[in-house]
Amino acid sequence: MTQLPTPGATPAAPPPSEPLPTAAPPRPRWRETLGLLARNPTAAVSAVVLVLIVLMAVFDETLAPDGPNDQDPSRQLQPPSWSHPFGTDEFGRDILSRVVLGAATSLRVGFLSVAFALVVGTLIGLLAGYYGRWVDDTLMRLMDVLFAFPAVLLAIAIVAIRGAGPANAILAIGIVYVPIFARVTRASVLGVREEVYVRASRSVGASDWRLITRHVLPNAAPPIIVQTSISLAFAVLAEAALSFLGLGPRRPNPSWGLMLADGRGFIDQAWWYTVFPGLAIVVTVLCFNLLGDGLRDVLDPRQRTLMAGGGR
Amino acid sequence: MTAPVLEVEDLRVDLRTPRGTAHVVNGLSYTVGAGETVAVVGESGSGKSVSVLALLGLLPARTATVTGRALLDGEDLLTMSPERLRQVRGPGVGMVFQDPMTSLNPVLTVGRQLTEGLRAHGSLSKAAARARAVELLGEVGLPDPGRAVDRYPHELSGGMRQRVVIAIALSNSPSLLIADEATTALDVTVQAQILDLVEGLQTEHGTGVVWITHDLGVVAGIADRVLVMYGGRCVEDGTVDDVLERPVHPYTRGLLGALPDLATDDEADLATIPGTPPPPTDLPAGCVFWPRCPVRGDARCETEQPPLAVVAAGTGGLPHRAATWCAEGEAS
Amino acid sequence: MSVLVFSLIHLVRGDPIRLALGTRFSQETYDALRERSGLDLPLVQQYVTWAGRAVTGDLGVSFRSGDTVTSLIAERLPATLTLAVAALLVALVIALPLGMLSALHPRSFVDRLATVVSQFGISVPDFWLSIMLILVFAGTLGVLPSGGYVALTEDPLGWLQRLVLPAVATGVVSGSVITRFVRSSMLEALGSDHVRTAQAKGVPTRQVLTWHVLRNALLPLVTVTGVQLAYLLSGVVVVEIVFSWPGLGQLAYQAVRDRDFPVLQGAVLLFALVFLVINLLVDLLYSRIDPRIARR
Repeated sequence: MTQLPTPGATPAAPPPSEPLPTAAPPRPRWRETLGLLARNPTAAVSAVVLVLIVLMAVFDETLAPDGPNDQDPSRQLQPPSWSHPFGTDEFGRDILSRVVLGAATSLRVGFLSVAFALVVGTLIGLLAGYYGRWVDDTLMRLMDVLFAFPAVLLAIAIVAIRGAGPANAILAIGIVYVPIFARVTRASVLGVREEVYVRASRSVGASDWRLITRHVLPNAAPPIIVQTSISLAFAVLAEAALSFLGLGPRRPNPSWGLMLADGRGFIDQAWWYTVFPGLAIVVTVLCFNLLGDGLRDVLDPRQRTLMAGGGR
Repeated sequence: MTAPVLEVEDLRVDLRTPRGTAHVVNGLSYTVGAGETVAVVGESGSGKSVSVLALLGLLPARTATVTGRALLDGEDLLTMSPERLRQVRGPGVGMVFQDPMTSLNPVLTVGRQLTEGLRAHGSLSKAAARARAVELLGEVGLPDPGRAVDRYPHELSGGMRQRVVIAIALSNSPSLLIADEATTALDVTVQAQILDLVEGLQTEHGTGVVWITHDLGVVAGIADRVLVMYGGRCVEDGTVDDVLERPVHPYTRGLLGALPDLATDDEADLATIPGTPPPPTDLPAGCVFWPRCPVRGDARCETEQPPLAVVAAGTGGLPHRAATWCAEGEAS
Repeated sequence: MSVLVFSLIHLVRGDPIRLALGTRFSQETYDALRERSGLDLPLVQQYVTWAGRAVTGDLGVSFRSGDTVTSLIAERLPATLTLAVAALLVALVIALPLGMLSALHPRSFVDRLATVVSQFGISVPDFWLSIMLILVFAGTLGVLPSGGYVALTEDPLGWLQRLVLPAVATGVVSGSVITRFVRSSMLEALGSDHVRTAQAKGVPTRQVLTWHVLRNALLPLVTVTGVQLAYLLSGVVVVEIVFSWPGLGQLAYQAVRDRDFPVLQGAVLLFALVFLVINLLVDLLYSRIDPRIARR
């Protein structure tokens, strides 16, 4: 997820002629991590399910049994059957197809908003942790203020101001999770900044950029990765809440939250209309959470990341 | 010798760990007489702490298997009912733990933690228990015990806290006091004060003491007898003079050789013998020490576990014993 | 904080008055409303006026209804408070026993159950849970109303009946977070050195559990409960809408739809304020019950 930039073309400092006692921090060994993760059945199953959901979202048009917007007045609000396993909605559209297409919407918003939070938050955390002093004070106070706002409300307010729509939903959810990434990164940076190998590299004249990319980031990576997985869970939830309120993607494009909002009107007649899109949300969010927990056990035994649920 | 307060026979402790069963204590036997101090020494991981936690049933029941016998005044601690064991903790055995910073509850007053133990074993009224607590705090040398009794642990220094822990351990006048690295976390002057304190209280009450430490300076200062542990076994025991002056086991000699100067350096660590103790999940087949042993003077070293055998008559009427194949001719 | 609320709201695209009035209006009405709302003044001056009035409790007038924002909020606050407190009660009733039991018997059936339940509770969108509860209890079983609100003074039973489902829907999420917290906090307390000291002095097990495990484990719970209450107060927005619960969340949502900025501004400021006040109260309370902080 976080491909670390390597300072390939621009070697900042002349390489020291002799191997110095600057033993690099133990890099997260990816193969070993994957092996450990595979031995955690819950996390492994979650990862597999998530891969399936992502594939489903990528190949939505081909996989969906029906056109998601194919209306057919002759089959309005039909209960689940062999031809329509999740039933149909009030326009006779196939709910399974719409759930499959909804995955694309939800995941797109989820991934993009977390990517935004990840990049901005990590950058802020790096700057604050690495440069300290007033940079740290200013940035982290700002993060505190942002963090003090209730997440859902902040997202709603941002969308309300900037107008409804997927792009603004992404921005809103992204902004909400910036402080979490900033805090996690900053804590890791502070932990590693004074380590011997970092000070040693600095003493041989390594540049800030080189230090950050070679030493600080690799060390901060594990908690950031864990946080990414957990944040994805909440981003999917937040996206559903926003679209449920009509502040996300517009009709007729399917989105899980939007389907729930529409299905609510037919709650007496068609239970399948609300049950299946909701289950899709639960399964996706649950898998991201479980994967996050599994990753935490493997990558971050000291539990530097925030408890799941901290952002709600 | 008077009748022993504590008689441990063939104590074995296995702990289930994610990496397999750890044989932490492997057939440990010793006795402690009234008013006597036995020092148990060894590196970290030699099983000393576990061996005493096992006596009081303080190991997690889910993972620990304890066998053998441990008679306290003739009654076996290891087969007692949980309720009887609770009654023995306190009046039978008092225990002092290593870290005074964490062994007291931070959110209860010192007095509360003292009276709790007192009232668990007697029918003292609240007021009487409090008076006794103040008395005990005075006995262990806390200044102004009348006020200290209402203080919280974080308001006291490390040395003062350890005095409180000792007061708690002694509050029910136990026949046996177990001190697990009780002075390790303290600085040298405080350490000396605590040692004096325990010795004084011991002569006063006739308490038997098991003093666990990896600090040979402490051993020389406080112990009557020494038991050297390695790999969960006793490798050498005898009087302080015998073991410290005329060590037989290569491990003990390594320990003493590793000690730069007994008089000046109280903080000297033992782990300066090359290598590390064997992991308790994977003990060597022969003598536990042979992988690190500089002598290895016998064919049986690698294959057969040497028994604990008398190597000299010893001083003070006590045999000097060691478990090694390399004793003959090597003892000085 | 108030600067942030204000500037946030004013990053508006479009003219709030125009939006509020719709398509048909005369220039005079427009100017009058604009002047009355002070929107013809420079932004900084607008902020100073707004903040100055906000301090005295005057948050302006709704574009829509013409009522004062303060009165609108005051009208809605009790319903939201009721729901949030009820949800917190539900959360604690679930979380305390479940968390404690699973910490006392790690890897037991109860522990596994608690883990699964709390994992689900964290992953379920509260509004979907609301719909499912309506589906089952109002639809299939028909034992509880699907929404609405009556005052406690008018109809105590009806009040309770309408409170149950929204309280459960919001409480389950918080309950799951708290369950996990209670469990880890208890496990930490159980493994601490002072518990061993207490055992070693022969204190009966029950007493060890109450005084040395529970007491220590539940101290930090005060903080978590406070944070959860703050989240509940603001987090019930969507649930309020599903259950037609006439609280602040619905007011804020309606304001968003109508672009009724004075109301939205007031509601957001209030939520932020509540958040701060609760955090402050928690800190104060904590310093009273934890001697380590109290004596400093």
